[in-house]
Amino acid sequence: MLRQHENSEAFKAGALSVAVHALLLGALLISFNWKTTHPVSIAEVELWDSLPVEKTQKSSSVKPPEPVVIPEPVKESSKPEPAPTPLPKVQVDIVIKKKPPEKLKPPPKKPDALAALQKDLMQDAVQAPRKQVVDDALKKLQQEALTDEKAEEGAKNNAVKLAVSNGVVNEFKARIQAKIRANVNKSLCGDGNPELKFEIGLMPTGELSGNPRLTKSSGNVACDDAVDRAIRASVPLPLPEDKSLFTQFRNLKLTFYPNSD
Amino acid sequence: MNVNSDMSIFTLIAGASLPVQMVMLILVIVSLFSWWYIFIKVATLKRAERDAEEFEKNFWMGGDLNKLYEGIASGHRKPRGMASIFEAGFKEFARHRQQARMEVSDVMEGARRAMRAAYNREMDDLDAHLPFLASVGSVSPYIGLFGTVWGIMNAFRGLSNVAQATLSQVAPGIAEALVATAIGLFAAIPAVIAYNRFASSVDRLSVRYESFMEEFTNILQRKS
Repeated sequence: MLRQHENSEAFKAGALSVAVHALLLGALLISFNWKTTHPVSIAEVELWDSLPVEKTQKSSSVKPPEPVVIPEPVKESSKPEPAPTPLPKVQVDIVIKKKPPEKLKPPPKKPDALAALQKDLMQDAVQAPRKQVVDDALKKLQQEALTDEKAEEGAKNNAVKLAVSNGVVNEFKARIQAKIRANVNKSLCGDGNPELKFEIGLMPTGELSGNPRLTKSSGNVACDDAVDRAIRASVPLPLPEDKSLFTQFRNLKLTFYPNSD
Repeated sequence: MNVNSDMSIFTLIAGASLPVQMVMLILVIVSLFSWWYIFIKVATLKRAERDAEEFEKNFWMGGDLNKLYEGIASGHRKPRGMASIFEAGFKEFARHRQQARMEVSDVMEGARRAMRAAYNREMDDLDAHLPFLASVGSVSPYIGLFGTVWGIMNAFRGLSNVAQATLSQVAPGIAEALVATAIGLFAAIPAVIAYNRFASSVDRLSVRYESFMEEFTNILQRKS
């Protein structure tokens, strides 16, 4: 391997070679940030294609006081309607899950209101300093006028919406379960009343986004398989028309009692 | 709240599959050897150049060639480089001259042959280990690539069982696999650079030796 005349250098060269590798390893360890951190909390965002409008409607009824309170000509004349909108709108987002069907009137009006609001915002930007005080006063007034009304309104609305959506969700969960149960080959599950729990992921089309996951087995592999097959055979599963409710179906936990009925 | 996932180089290596670990081991060994040879070569080539310099200085000082030969032959170390060529040529020349009545051309021919043999031995020493460096330079990236491909294949195979594939499921496997390529490149780059540098040094030395042989032949011819 080595020539005779190289023996004198062999040891020194070997030490140097090891040193080079140690150096590289050290550089590698220092220069990289080997710890990677993942933020665990993931913000979930719901997208609304249109703003819920009922509150804009309502706020227009509260408006009359403002023109009286603030005699400033430029702004008030140009925007009698939109001025109150910004506030109610923000709060409505949270409160209301679904557009109530009875309020069909507002939509045509909304674009005007938005346009006016935009114009107003642009104006605001220009003459902000002067208007700031007036705006604040105006907002405070509006808020006072609105809060009590909104509070009970919101609470009532919320309760109704929740009840309705819960009802819809439950109904569709029941329908999904019924559809699957219809496909289960019950003879495979034997006697007794086995209980199975499955977790399934759904896509908006009603198809499965992954394999059904058995979270609680009946103890009988054939029975587990029968339910698994039934879930696959039931695709597409029924889902409510309202897409905003889909988040509740994305990951479903279903419990089956194949022999109970 | 954060989850720290430890991706240190050690866990990456420990987490790799066996073939990838074998590849890494081979590459580390190869890299160690190539650096060892690189340092040996640097030292020996530097010494050969210094020796050639020194010998040429002594030779062209115009001293007595017999004395120079005595000095070299009596040294306890075996002469190397130009000195060994000179020693072989002069020894052959002197031996032929002592024998009575030999043709000048035959004497010259013998001396030349002896010098050529010494020169070939010297070149062989200078060229030692260069083929190893050349093969490390050209092959180790491929070995590293093989390890990487193997690792990535495994990483993607694991992905096939998962319905919702995310990058975080393959990323660690790919990171592990890429370590093999990194080691391969670390072995290859210095080897290639060293090979080119040593090859040119050896070429320059060989030109120097050859021209010395020609000049020395002329001197011997004048003496005979």
